[in-house]
Amino acid sequence: MAKLTPDELEKISKSNHEKSSNWIKVGMSTCGIAAGAGEIFDFLLEEVKKRNLQIEVKKCGCQGNCYAEPLVEVSVEGLPAVTYGKVNKEVATKIIEKHVIAKMLVNDYIYDSLT
Amino acid sequence: MYEKTVLIKDTDLRREDKTRQAYTQFLDHLRQNDQHSRIQVVRVADVGLYDKGLVIKVLPDRITYANVQDRDLERIANSLCENKEAIKDLVYKPKVKQEKLALRNCGKIDPENINEYIACGGYLGLKRAIFELGAEKVIEEVKTGAIRGRGGAGYPTWLKWNFACKVSSEQKFVICNADEGDPGAYMDRSILEGDPHSVLEGLIVAAFAVGASRAYFYVRAEYPLAVERIEKAIKAAYDYGLLGKNILGSSFCLDAEIRLGAGAFVCGEETALISSIEGRRGTPHPRPPYPSIKGLWGKPTVINNVETLANIPQLISKGGKWFAQIGTETSKGTKVFAVTGKVKNSGLVEIAMGATLREIVVDLCGGTLSGGPIKAIQTGGPSGGVIPQELLDTPVDYENLQKLGSIMGSGGMIVMDEDDCMVDIPKFYLGFCVDESCGKCAPCRIGGFQMLNYLKKITEGRGELNDLIHLKRISYAMQKASLCGLGQTASNPVLSTLKYFENEYIEHIVNKRCPAGKCNHLITYKVIEDKCKRCGLCSTNCPVNAISGDKEKGYSIIQEKCIKCGRCFEVCKFKAIYKK
Amino acid sequence: MKESKLSVKIDGKSYQVEPGLAILDACRNVGIDIPTLCYLKGLSKEAACSICLVEVTGAKALMRSCVTPINNGMEIYTNTERVRNARRINLELLLAGHPKECLSCDRSETCELRKIAFDMGIREVRFPKTSKTEFPIDKTSVSIIRDPNKCILCGRCVSVCSSIQSVQAIDFSGRGKASKVTTFFDQGLASSVCVNCGQCLLVCPTGALTEQNETEEVWKALFDPDKFVVVEVAPAVRAAIGEEFAMPAGSLVTAKLAQALRKLGFSKVFDTQFSADLTIMEEGYELISRIKNKGVLPMITSCSPGWIKFAEHFFPGILPHISTCKSPQQMFGAIAKTYYAKKYNIDPRKIIVVSIMPCTAKKFEAKRPEMKDAFKYWQKDLNLKKEDEFYDVDYVLTTREAARMIREAGINFSNLNGEDFDEPLGISTGAAVIFGATGGVMEAAIRTVHEVLTGKELEKLEFNALRGLDGIKVCEVDIQGLKLKVAVANGLSNARKLLKDVGDNKSPYAFIEIMTCPGGCLGGGGQPFSADGEAKPKRMETIYQEDRNKPLRKSHQNPAVNALYKEFLDKPLGEKSHHLLHTHYSRRQEPL
Repeated sequence: MAKLTPDELEKISKSNHEKSSNWIKVGMSTCGIAAGAGEIFDFLLEEVKKRNLQIEVKKCGCQGNCYAEPLVEVSVEGLPAVTYGKVNKEVATKIIEKHVIAKMLVNDYIYDSLT
Repeated sequence: MYEKTVLIKDTDLRREDKTRQAYTQFLDHLRQNDQHSRIQVVRVADVGLYDKGLVIKVLPDRITYANVQDRDLERIANSLCENKEAIKDLVYKPKVKQEKLALRNCGKIDPENINEYIACGGYLGLKRAIFELGAEKVIEEVKTGAIRGRGGAGYPTWLKWNFACKVSSEQKFVICNADEGDPGAYMDRSILEGDPHSVLEGLIVAAFAVGASRAYFYVRAEYPLAVERIEKAIKAAYDYGLLGKNILGSSFCLDAEIRLGAGAFVCGEETALISSIEGRRGTPHPRPPYPSIKGLWGKPTVINNVETLANIPQLISKGGKWFAQIGTETSKGTKVFAVTGKVKNSGLVEIAMGATLREIVVDLCGGTLSGGPIKAIQTGGPSGGVIPQELLDTPVDYENLQKLGSIMGSGGMIVMDEDDCMVDIPKFYLGFCVDESCGKCAPCRIGGFQMLNYLKKITEGRGELNDLIHLKRISYAMQKASLCGLGQTASNPVLSTLKYFENEYIEHIVNKRCPAGKCNHLITYKVIEDKCKRCGLCSTNCPVNAISGDKEKGYSIIQEKCIKCGRCFEVCKFKAIYKK
Repeated sequence: MKESKLSVKIDGKSYQVEPGLAILDACRNVGIDIPTLCYLKGLSKEAACSICLVEVTGAKALMRSCVTPINNGMEIYTNTERVRNARRINLELLLAGHPKECLSCDRSETCELRKIAFDMGIREVRFPKTSKTEFPIDKTSVSIIRDPNKCILCGRCVSVCSSIQSVQAIDFSGRGKASKVTTFFDQGLASSVCVNCGQCLLVCPTGALTEQNETEEVWKALFDPDKFVVVEVAPAVRAAIGEEFAMPAGSLVTAKLAQALRKLGFSKVFDTQFSADLTIMEEGYELISRIKNKGVLPMITSCSPGWIKFAEHFFPGILPHISTCKSPQQMFGAIAKTYYAKKYNIDPRKIIVVSIMPCTAKKFEAKRPEMKDAFKYWQKDLNLKKEDEFYDVDYVLTTREAARMIREAGINFSNLNGEDFDEPLGISTGAAVIFGATGGVMEAAIRTVHEVLTGKELEKLEFNALRGLDGIKVCEVDIQGLKLKVAVANGLSNARKLLKDVGDNKSPYAFIEIMTCPGGCLGGGGQPFSADGEAKPKRMETIYQEDRNKPLRKSHQNPAVNALYKEFLDKPLGEKSHHLLHTHYSRRQEPL
């Protein structure tokens, strides 16, 4: 990475960091990791690889709903981005099979605190 | 794919959960109108509203319906099927909303990827500071924004920077205080783990404004993930020329590094922190001289809290005027609160100053776990006090909380219900202060210890009314004569609970009773004879063999032997142990 | 350009004060005293005790007057109810945690905590006893006892040991209630780099630091009919011990002291000043020899045992520079048990030598394993075995301990008429007296070296450049063309400054005098307590005056010393001197 000039900085700021609208973000701050987000992250990464899915699994920070960790936000084209909470391996599997592959939101695990 | 998504959740906890029923009804209705492949229905776990009956949210329009009755389900379904406007009499507009400034990127970006940070407007604040404003105007912006230190003292940030800026010295320092020590507070940790670049950018802007050439992150060693992420952020910034020589091609140079704490709460205090970085014993030193004039290694030093710095980039790029629009007259901007304790949804809440305690704890966090009434809310950590439930509609800002005998502190908010004892809580905090006292000055070292002994006396049923007088006397000495904030504020929880809950102290002392049922020594465990099924489970589980009896005669607890551990109460399947 | 004065109001009255002062100093300058406990002028200000609080209009909290600087227009109140209340509660808290052993404490008369509690009118401690931890008492050191239970954590000892003495044998450790002043890893003081100077003891406000008590053994010896107990008295003691009997600082009480010691029962009352003159003979000739034979220069004096241990720990590389001469205390012991024993036909095994010193390190020096030269001298003749070993000096009493014995014997010291020291080991010159002050050994040495080298009488005997309380003093002495550069340091941090150059072979000096204690022996760790060290200049003046009063002022003129050489030693640096009056040094544990 070379040192930035102010113009180059502007350029990067205007770029869309979300290169695609297919992504999974796992909350990987200490609160999440303490709740087991580490394993969920690895599991999702493995599943995506295994099933050859075109979706990026990323880590992100704590978004505030710590009581509902592990939190996984999923964005799949054609569906609204939603956050799943208290995700265990079972729910993670459903996310992959139902949400990502079958393009249907998973029941009973969405945490939507935005108004 | 799906044009619309409908989220359904029954938020009324007093009755049977209607979520499934409503979901099925709604789905049926859509099927009847053949809209089920156009409109998706989902049962959700949480809609961010509490005690508002059946809630239905429509995405992507972001329409929220609350207190939806059975008959309304059809209306809503129809309006969606026919693409009509929102049904006005059912729409719910929440009064209170979180406003994420410091937490703007947390949960959105990969904290270890500087490009994602920049793509969200990162480092544009720094660019504006260097190329458009210049050091003096930067301080002007911060003054206009009127941001106050988020570490607890609430000192105007621009003033601190101004003092250091005006002193001429061949070297100056800026330090980010990440030694977050209040029990229950983890706002700073989350910001550092979730968006370290926001803090780094704020620190670089501070260094630029003040004329510093070296920046330090002082992070408590108990935050290894935060340390790791800051390290990566610093490296990425160096790679991009945002740290080091000629930042962004300007003449401004800055080096940054991390220094670890080592388990001392007192090192969050500015002069003790400076001592710690200098490699000396972490004890506070008398002020004046203030760190802005004579700090680290005798040079002008500005120390700012993590959350304060996280706010700076936006304040600079969007302007102080923009920042000053948010909040109250005396307390601008937002505050991140860590709401924990007996609350349903514990977590971080960022909200504009001026929101009430009730809005934060009940509206946003769902109220108490049990559903029962809130007894009090403790704010400000070990330096703060309790706010009783009758004062929950107080708008939160620096001055208001102080008037009530508490402080904003770093933003910890502990929710307490009927099972929390108002003598036990200050005992906990005082124990913390006694543990963490550096020991240098007598009022804190000995006074704190003496106060703790009095509280122990009271909670163990040996209290006397005179003890309350002693507590007040020592509090006075500690407040007036301690060398640093730790000692000066250690008595706040005691004074605050005495102010609002003196009756509980009296109960403990006079009637030897703990109304909350928390203080072990004041609890009596007894077997309820007519409920006792004589299974003997309590007796076998008693660690001190204090339960005697057998299958015929039944069991009873020998009070003199009982150590009040509560084991029998926990294991009895028939609720036959009485706890008073 | 003189800075203009500041206007302040103190207790309602207006004053003009010098800028740059702390409130405490400004108040004291205008005659308003504020009580303090941890504060000590000249030491680093840690502001720990919270006693010197004052009220300042506009300030939220009470301010610590010892560190808060005066501002123009400040309004200060030193005595309001808020202030008195806060001070009292603080004191009660301190007292609640303090052992109630005042009646049997070494410092019962001089304890600063007791005094301030009395002055503040504390008649009731309304808090229960706080001490949860019982700290073990450190008695490992030969010189100093540490009792952390009586420590009020004022930090003066740590400050003195690190900034004045640059030894840093003690420091704070632990946190909160478990805070304490201790050595590295709580090792006993004897295992640390402590040099035994006792400066910490002098500044300790309570009985947390005291000296090891040897009075019991001395009493036993005095009343043992089988023993011949002699006493030697250091120069600095006679200018200070009067203070222990409420006499003004600097009272010269030589004769009273000699008489009191005789009353205690010492068989002979001798004077360390005798052996100080002897030391000058040996050391003067040693210097001349090194100059003539291109020996190791600069030569450094060796009579201060704190300095010797300091060198052995921190500067082992420069040990060859140190004079091999023993200190006057040790030379005396060796001579008393050989020359004197022989001359007066006394069995040396029955001689007990007691020294009275202004010094705590002398207790350590006397017990150095090599200080048994009298025993070695007699070993063959008396067929002595290892179990018959005896030290040259048996017991060392500090000035304070000696005063204690005098009080215990019921002697009314200040009313004594006075008597002389015994002969021959009680005869001394003015050059010996000035050993008690920093620069004195140097002056005494020059008086002899000059006359030995030139053969001519030295007229100017007083060297003002070498006198006074400055940390380092230098002078150039012209000895008939030979320009001798000399330096004097007192206080070990000042010594360090000179030693660095010595270690780098860059020192311009031929002869260096180093005294461990600021002011020299008159400020030693065994001297009477004097608040803020104000007695030191008076003691110093007395010592220099006594030198002027003496008929003989040069060591080589001491008739008893000359007789000693004629009858016994033969000549300075001779073989007997080598065995009895000279010693060696060795590297000690490196400071960690």
